[in-house]
Amino acid sequence: MIVGFAGTRLGRLEWGGWVAVAFSAAAMVLGVLIAVGEAMSPGTYTNVQFTWLHLAPAPGAFPNGFSLVMGTLVDPLSSLMLVVVTVVGFLVMLYSIGYMHHDHGLPRYYAELSLFLASMTGLVLANNLLEFFLFWELVGVCSYFLIGFYYEKPSAASAAKEAFLVTRVGDVLFLLGIFLYFSVYATAGPNGGWAANGFVFVHGASPFLPLPGANTPTLTIAGLLILGGAAGKSAQFPLHVWLPDAMEGPTTVSALIHAATMVAAGVYLLAVASVFLGFTPTDQLAIVAVGGFTAFFAATMAVVHPDIKRVIAYSTISQLGYMVLAIGAGFAMVGLYHLFTHAFFKALLFLAAGSVIHAVGTQDLFKMGGLKKHMRLTAAAFAIGGLALAGIPPFAGFWSKDDILGSVYSVLGTHPDYWPFFLLAFAAVFLTAYYIFRAWFLAFSGDGPRDPSLPTPHEGPWVMQVPLVVLSAMAVVAGLFVFFPGFQNLLLGGAGLPGIPPTFTTTDLALSAVSVGLGAGGIGLAWSLWGNGRVFVLSETSAIQPVRRLLLNRYYFKVGYDWIGLRAVYTISRAADFFDRFVIDGAVRGLERIFAAGSNRLRSIQTGLVSDYAAYVVGGLLALFVMLLIVGPYLLARLGGS
Amino acid sequence: MSVSSFAGPFVPELVLLAGTLLIFLLDVLKVRRIELTGGIAVAATLAALGVVVADLGFAPLAFLATVPASQIDVAPAAGAAPLFAFTSFGLVFQAIFLLATFFVALASVSRPSDERGAPIFYGLLLLATIGMLLVAIASDLIFLLLAIEVVSIASYLLVAYTRKDVRGLEAAMKFFVIGALSTVLSFFGASLLFGAYGTTNLYLIRAAGTAVGYPVLVLLGYGFLIAGLAFKVTLVPFHAWAVDVYDGAPDDVSAFLAGGTKKIGVFAFFLVFLGPVLAVGAVGSSGYGLFGGSVALGASFQITLGALAVVTMTVGNVLALLQKEMKRMLAYSSISQAGYMLIGIAIGTAPALGGATLQVFAHVLMKTGAFLVVGAAAAIGVGPLIDDWRGLGLKRPLLGVSFALMLLSLAGVPLTIGFVSKFVLFSAAVDAQGWFIWLAVAGLLNSALSVFYYARVLKVMFFDAAPAPAGAPAGSVVGGAGPPALPLGGIGYGRAASLAIIAALIVAFGIYPQAVLGAIQSAAYHFVTVGA
Repeated sequence: MIVGFAGTRLGRLEWGGWVAVAFSAAAMVLGVLIAVGEAMSPGTYTNVQFTWLHLAPAPGAFPNGFSLVMGTLVDPLSSLMLVVVTVVGFLVMLYSIGYMHHDHGLPRYYAELSLFLASMTGLVLANNLLEFFLFWELVGVCSYFLIGFYYEKPSAASAAKEAFLVTRVGDVLFLLGIFLYFSVYATAGPNGGWAANGFVFVHGASPFLPLPGANTPTLTIAGLLILGGAAGKSAQFPLHVWLPDAMEGPTTVSALIHAATMVAAGVYLLAVASVFLGFTPTDQLAIVAVGGFTAFFAATMAVVHPDIKRVIAYSTISQLGYMVLAIGAGFAMVGLYHLFTHAFFKALLFLAAGSVIHAVGTQDLFKMGGLKKHMRLTAAAFAIGGLALAGIPPFAGFWSKDDILGSVYSVLGTHPDYWPFFLLAFAAVFLTAYYIFRAWFLAFSGDGPRDPSLPTPHEGPWVMQVPLVVLSAMAVVAGLFVFFPGFQNLLLGGAGLPGIPPTFTTTDLALSAVSVGLGAGGIGLAWSLWGNGRVFVLSETSAIQPVRRLLLNRYYFKVGYDWIGLRAVYTISRAADFFDRFVIDGAVRGLERIFAAGSNRLRSIQTGLVSDYAAYVVGGLLALFVMLLIVGPYLLARLGGS
Repeated sequence: MSVSSFAGPFVPELVLLAGTLLIFLLDVLKVRRIELTGGIAVAATLAALGVVVADLGFAPLAFLATVPASQIDVAPAAGAAPLFAFTSFGLVFQAIFLLATFFVALASVSRPSDERGAPIFYGLLLLATIGMLLVAIASDLIFLLLAIEVVSIASYLLVAYTRKDVRGLEAAMKFFVIGALSTVLSFFGASLLFGAYGTTNLYLIRAAGTAVGYPVLVLLGYGFLIAGLAFKVTLVPFHAWAVDVYDGAPDDVSAFLAGGTKKIGVFAFFLVFLGPVLAVGAVGSSGYGLFGGSVALGASFQITLGALAVVTMTVGNVLALLQKEMKRMLAYSSISQAGYMLIGIAIGTAPALGGATLQVFAHVLMKTGAFLVVGAAAAIGVGPLIDDWRGLGLKRPLLGVSFALMLLSLAGVPLTIGFVSKFVLFSAAVDAQGWFIWLAVAGLLNSALSVFYYARVLKVMFFDAAPAPAGAPAGSVVGGAGPPALPLGGIGYGRAASLAIIAALIVAFGIYPQAVLGAIQSAAYHFVTVGA
């Protein structure tokens, strides 16, 4: 595990894609081995840590001492994530060799990608919240670099900035959440509290010993702040705006960061927090609400978008919404299960889309058409990904998505206020199937490209095809893993953790039937409108035209955000910036300026004459006594003594 | 048969003394090769360091131990008035002192100096070090002040040892006059305390504690002591000599003064104000129990020291900002660093003590190293101005990288020892609560301020274009005749090794501070609790 970690680290130092590929392959092998080992020994975990800094106990704020710890924790939760990150990371790295071969700045690309993978691995394996946050920030910085990879393109640069700023809002909330939790758990809890244990969220013999959580307002607010952090990273409403724009980066980057792994960090954070910290009921409702609403909300926007990558981007937001929904309802492992399957079919969709873009050089669906003649493999891969996304059995998405809906459905009786969000998520199933097959039909079916100026498409080299095949296979079978006991061990985790329901009950079957029906209906609608090269044109006078326009303009969110959201974001960041620049920096700079002015004068004290120095000593002595006898006691009275 | 059975617990001092005598003997015999005398000094220092580390309980060297563990951190019998006592805290400081001497001695082996000076330099260096070791075991005021005097007299001579250098002579003169004044103040303070307590033994003073007949004498006595010791630690306004002396003295001597001898003042402060001899009260609480009968007086001393700390670091930083010469900048930065150490003394809890000690340790690495780099730069013909260092970082990677690490550490950048020491120190201040938190705030603001002038040097070294070579390198300012060039492009093996070790330690302890932090914290804990 540590070798894999170091390996990816080393990768960033190397030049040349193949070296990076080799290192990520090594990391993948190690990651999978760790997960297999974990699956073979249910309920165990390994926690390796060293105390980076330890302050001895002393009376005061931290009677049990204070430690900063760096550690790695391998438990079912993290090993599942590890597989996702390393496998998808490796495949994308391999694919990049083909996809990026005519770009310049490749060493930079591989260096950033490797650093990204390394920090993601570190995040997954972190055993305490501070370390988690450290890698979280690293991941954010890497994504900023990678989105802005085509930095000479203004839209890419601004998308990178936007992603950075919006996720930054989440980061600040996350950090505040950590502090708030820390204020509660600093000295309370197992082994003398967080302060003594370096924020480590593993305690004693069992990694799944929840902290003595209580339904206090402080904990509720702390949980909401964590949700805010996760929403920023995982592009949940209302911090979702950055993700579609982040598609300005290379498609490989979109696949890796903005579909499979980085956005998963937010979900993973929620899962970790729900397992180790516990959420209060209010928090849970908030999380369910955000997740359910986002699942539907993002799906509606995907319905009309003409850009192939952005359609997939919206579907990512929507699918992340499902995961958040599941975690909020108390089924963290179900959420992670969906994350697992989703990572494969979403990476597949992105890489297939990348293959298309590589071939025709445009992202506009309405210019494509008839591609399946020239790109059979890509068409098949995209179809498999689409079927998995739409939740058609036996493809991967079906199992996990159905599990989410089933588990949430099972708690509706005790939590009736989850109903609206459950229904929204349910409705999104239909939209999902529709929009992804609309994209498929537009791109692949028909006689030929609608825009004749497009070049003749061709499949990519083998390095691009292999990942497609592997991911296709995974998109078919990943969901079936749940029937293996070993994999169930990963999902079931250990004591105190709400695991995944391993069997399907009758209600679940009915539910599944309905959701599959919805999915099939969505595909059917897509076929009837767009199949065989048809182009469905909504008449200008149609009653739903305003709806379409609303969706096409993303609910005017972008425009609106300029007024409300981004203004607020900018204001906040400006305020933070202002604080940083004028209050902190200002204090520093102001001091510097004052001092710089005073410095010259002070310097003249340094006369070089011994008699002057002796006079200072005597003067200092007098000042000392004045201080001891008069000023000191006065100050003590003012400052309140020690 | 262990070493201690025939040499007693003074083996480190005796080893150094033997080295000194050997060097002077060889001098008389006209054997003055710098490699030889320097080698003797380095060997003697290393041997002494090994013994001290063994005494501290470092298992692999246990066979060298000369002080039985049962005699460390033990309070004397009631009424006893020992002149010296072994505390693990004092041993930590001995190790730190020896480390400073080791770096200087090793680096100075490759010094393009006249041969005649070498025995004097190394002899005095070892003599001063003996005094420093004695300071660290003192438990009597007179013993302490005499030990400090041993160091002082040796260092006055060190500043002037080249004899031909006018600047060095002038600096030595200033150093001596102000030093003498400070000595007078210290002894006067000690005599006042003797008047108050009837003894100069720190244990007995501690035992007298609250039962003081003449509180005014106590106040005056400690006040004069502060003034006298502040000279050593270069606290503002007792600092004025330091800049001229650091600037005027030979570079390696500056390294020794700033990195080494200055720290005896810090230790003396610890000893006088909150050593085992004075500590009273609950575990880990502030050690200002001496004034138990008059809490306000003790607290008044604390806040006075705190104010001194803030003034010192601020003035030091501010004056460092506009310096154009590298050595003067480093001198002022050294003054401001002393302010950080004083924070720990003002707070007086075990964690603060540990933090301050760590800061002392870090400062030995950083400042000794920095002055040694300056020496190397001078040796290869770089001028005294900061601007003369343009592009040096890329041209001379060893100097550039090690100096960069030292500056980053001085500025308190994470993953260096400087960050760890400041973190520990400031968190101790926050932990102590009350007005001590303001000390942490002042320290943080000052750290931010200091980044400006450290970063400026880094910018000059790495991002500014190197100046066009202006004629032949100056070679040696001192020798004039142009001594043979040293290996490694004029830096020399000894200095290169010294710098490499320092840089490695700065990073190693920055990444894994626990290696030293644990020992220091436990020593500090014993220091304030033993004999309480």
